Amino acid sequence: MTEFLIARGHDGPARIGSYSMGEMAISTPVLVGPSHADSLTLHYAALNRDELLKDTPMIVAIPGISYSRLDRLRDYDSILLPSLIADEILGLTAGSLLLKQQMSFLKEQQIESSGAIVRVPASLDEGSFVHVLQEFIHMGVRAAAFRFDGDLGPSDYRMVTLRSQLPRNWFALAIGRIEPYSVPLMHYLGFDVFDASRAFEAAAQGIRLWRTDAEQVADEEPARHCACSSCESQPDLNSLSNSKLIEILTNHNISTYRMVLSESIHAMQSGRLRWLVESLTHATPSLASFLRRVDRGLYSFLEEFTATAGSSTMPLIGPESYNSPAIKRFREKLVSRFTPPTHKRIVLLLPCSARKPYSDSKSHKRFARTIESAIGLARHGIAETILTSPLGVIPRELERIHPVAQYDIPVTGDWDAEETAIAVRALTTHLEKFEESVVVVAHVSGGYLDIVKQGEDNIRQALIYTSSDGSATSGASLDLLDETLRDMLELVLDGEYRRTDLEDTLRATADFQFGSGAGELLVPEDASLRGKLYRTVICQVDKEQVCAYNAVSGMLSLTLAGARRIAGLGQNWVRFEGREVKGGSIFAVGVKEADTGIRPGDEVIVIGQDERVVAVGRSEMSGIEMCEFEKGRAVTVRHKLGVTT
Amino acid sequence: MNGITDGLKDIITKASLAARGSSLSRIRRRNLSEPAAKWVVQSRIGSEVGYALSIVLATSGCSHARSEKGGCTMCSYILDGAGQNVPTEDLIQQFQNALTSLKGLMAPISVKVYTSGSFLDPVEVPPEARAEILKAIDEDDRVRQVVLESRPEYMTDETASLVREILGDREIEIGMGLESADDGVRSLCINKGFSLSEFETALKTAASHGIGTRAYVLVKPPFLTERDALLDALQTIIAAAELGATTISVNPVNVQKHTLVQRMWSRGHYRPPWLWTVTEILKESRDQVASDVNVVCDPVAAGKPRGTHNCGKCDDAFVKAIRQFSLDQSTSHFEVLDCGCKSQWSHVLEHEDFAQLVHSLRFHIP
Repeated sequence: MTEFLIARGHDGPARIGSYSMGEMAISTPVLVGPSHADSLTLHYAALNRDELLKDTPMIVAIPGISYSRLDRLRDYDSILLPSLIADEILGLTAGSLLLKQQMSFLKEQQIESSGAIVRVPASLDEGSFVHVLQEFIHMGVRAAAFRFDGDLGPSDYRMVTLRSQLPRNWFALAIGRIEPYSVPLMHYLGFDVFDASRAFEAAAQGIRLWRTDAEQVADEEPARHCACSSCESQPDLNSLSNSKLIEILTNHNISTYRMVLSESIHAMQSGRLRWLVESLTHATPSLASFLRRVDRGLYSFLEEFTATAGSSTMPLIGPESYNSPAIKRFREKLVSRFTPPTHKRIVLLLPCSARKPYSDSKSHKRFARTIESAIGLARHGIAETILTSPLGVIPRELERIHPVAQYDIPVTGDWDAEETAIAVRALTTHLEKFEESVVVVAHVSGGYLDIVKQGEDNIRQALIYTSSDGSATSGASLDLLDETLRDMLELVLDGEYRRTDLEDTLRATADFQFGSGAGELLVPEDASLRGKLYRTVICQVDKEQVCAYNAVSGMLSLTLAGARRIAGLGQNWVRFEGREVKGGSIFAVGVKEADTGIRPGDEVIVIGQDERVVAVGRSEMSGIEMCEFEKGRAVTVRHKLGVTT
Repeated sequence: MNGITDGLKDIITKASLAARGSSLSRIRRRNLSEPAAKWVVQSRIGSEVGYALSIVLATSGCSHARSEKGGCTMCSYILDGAGQNVPTEDLIQQFQNALTSLKGLMAPISVKVYTSGSFLDPVEVPPEARAEILKAIDEDDRVRQVVLESRPEYMTDETASLVREILGDREIEIGMGLESADDGVRSLCINKGFSLSEFETALKTAASHGIGTRAYVLVKPPFLTERDALLDALQTIIAAAELGATTISVNPVNVQKHTLVQRMWSRGHYRPPWLWTVTEILKESRDQVASDVNVVCDPVAAGKPRGTHNCGKCDDAFVKAIRQFSLDQSTSHFEVLDCGCKSQWSHVLEHEDFAQLVHSLRFHIP
């Protein structure tokens, strides 16, 4: 019995897990190489052609056209099913036929299906793949191998597209040519095995592979310095015999793969894999264009696995970040879920700050002092809105939510055309949600000012600029802001104001997490709110706590009472097989159905058999994963219904 | 399973036809009294070394290639033909013109009559033309060996006895393209259009008239990995010898225009066999095949991107060794061959089977 188990944790489609072949359990992601690659843990061989290592499970490839003597296979080997090399020349129909051929091979040879690996043909349309996969799932197959030519061109992209159709609990192998710099990308795209054979090919060609490039070791030129144990043992590579040189280069090249994989695993565990992938796009233009194509074409695949919570800093350094799933999703959710409170009469546009949350920065503290001294309580009639790249616009109420409190960008004041366009679109869309009588005060300068100016034609409201001399924080600018707001006191802020920052924040957060309308349900007019926005705010209705706002996550955690109030919205629900929840977790096996919109990190509502809310907690996987997985923790329970007797 | 294989076969046939495109209708008009090609080389004749005259008659070409079956996936020899039916008189004239090349040569001489198809196909070479050509050969006493070429379906009892009658007691070999002893490889990868048992029947028919068989073995049809190809050729040579072939001609694929192989090659989905593979096949098969069966190889376009090749540095030495081996059957010529590219080849053997990635060197040279 061969089994693949996915461990807890997510960073995009990337995961860690364990692949059991007989007695041997291999931690994934893992590198695979030929049987003589001693420093690797997973090996491949071709049936009846390469020697099968004694007692060590291997991935055994069945040759394409004629095979014989399957009796040599051991129970614990995984079987890479036969196909045709270069099948892409034959077109899509051949791809489907080759899959069917693998299926009949599996049936006729009576191979244990848990150890079988589907060899995905190079040309195949997604529809037929999904269709044939259903049959493989039914047979008990749980693994597929995708072949990359290393070119990162259309063929490699097609493979990634097909991979995105795989059931989420399948074991995914990336075989062929995977350059070291592509390993984190492949990991990010949800592959569990990476073929490190390029290490051998390169060595045979006299090439030393580095993290982001390659070096032809030539007779005439001195080789680069390398501190790996293999290279250090031979200070002068040029003096070696050919076979010795190949040996040294092979060891070096494999070390490079192992180093990059380790880097990738660490990045995933600290929630920074996306950053690593983005940073490696500078290795080659083809890698950069590949990631852009993936972001555009496979957004929903990437987004489904991208967590909505997380505490580590999220560096957003270049254009690769503008449309990364966490960022694009934030912009889209802000459009679809944020509704400005009706008592806001002024939209005050402010520049972002390097320090997060913005309120903690020096500049925003000065803005706050200026506003308070100018208009006092009437400040609650102002919708403070921060302009930033690449998130677009951030209402003050959402400044602590993921990824607003975590993102970090290089600040120079210069905006490129793409990020300007993103911000202009975000700003004008956002302002459409406000009434026409609202006044927009733009207290911004430099690039921020350009954004407002570019958006002017699409802004219906009156617009006042209050930054006088190129700096929003200068004394003169703050004086102008002060003066403007005082004028506004009579013109637009002429009503009665009371402190509303707690309810504004909690309602906006509730809407953002659970959809429009959640804010009014969780924080109704008669709710009692106690606490500090920079720490915790408790919300009670009829003396019963319904939710709590946590400044660290910028998110609400629900109580059962709170969950009952919003269960009717039909968001973030998980249908549980049992009547009551025991223990601190709900496992995927116990989930009957779940909202497909659930993302790892979401606050979820667990509904029991009798339609009652039985628990609330935090999701550990996507809603679809909860349904597809047979194992693994789906929800970490925060509150549950007491055990009934 | 059969339905699936038939489906794949059908796709490959169509792909082969598509690759051929309209090339057949665009064959250049030629002087019908001149052969398509002729050349004389030193050659092994029985146990002696003499001269061989090869003649390629310009005919209407291979019936399989002309048919709706699309021909073989690697072959466009038909484009060297006349593209039309050639009258009997012209065919005889072509042959007479070629024979002038034998002027002044000493015995033993071998005459090899090729067409871009089957010499024994009565549509391609009318029986009268065939008889006249064979008679012309019979008139030259220096000619000890005659090699004809045909698809097996034309090697009938009647034809065999006619050929034997005219050529007397000369050594006769009929060259037939077995290509692979594996029916799957032959039908799917090559689109050859006959089975092993049909080949065997033809071989036995020829043998019953004392006509030997020169079995052509293809090295690296498309859709095989390098090691698939090596093993398939080796097994084919052994099988052919066991069936009774008198000579084995080993033919590494060369990329010909208007073929499926060329389409694949130009997109990086096919690489002609390594010379390492070819020498390995020759060495191994020489050890395993009875010594009275000659194993010969005259690789086309060797050392070039379109032919069997290695890294470029060692190709000439390999080709020379292969030619020497074909003359004297000694594997010692291969023992001195070595090059840094051997480990690249070893890697390809090992990795292609697993990854099914064509290791063409288009990419990844910094």
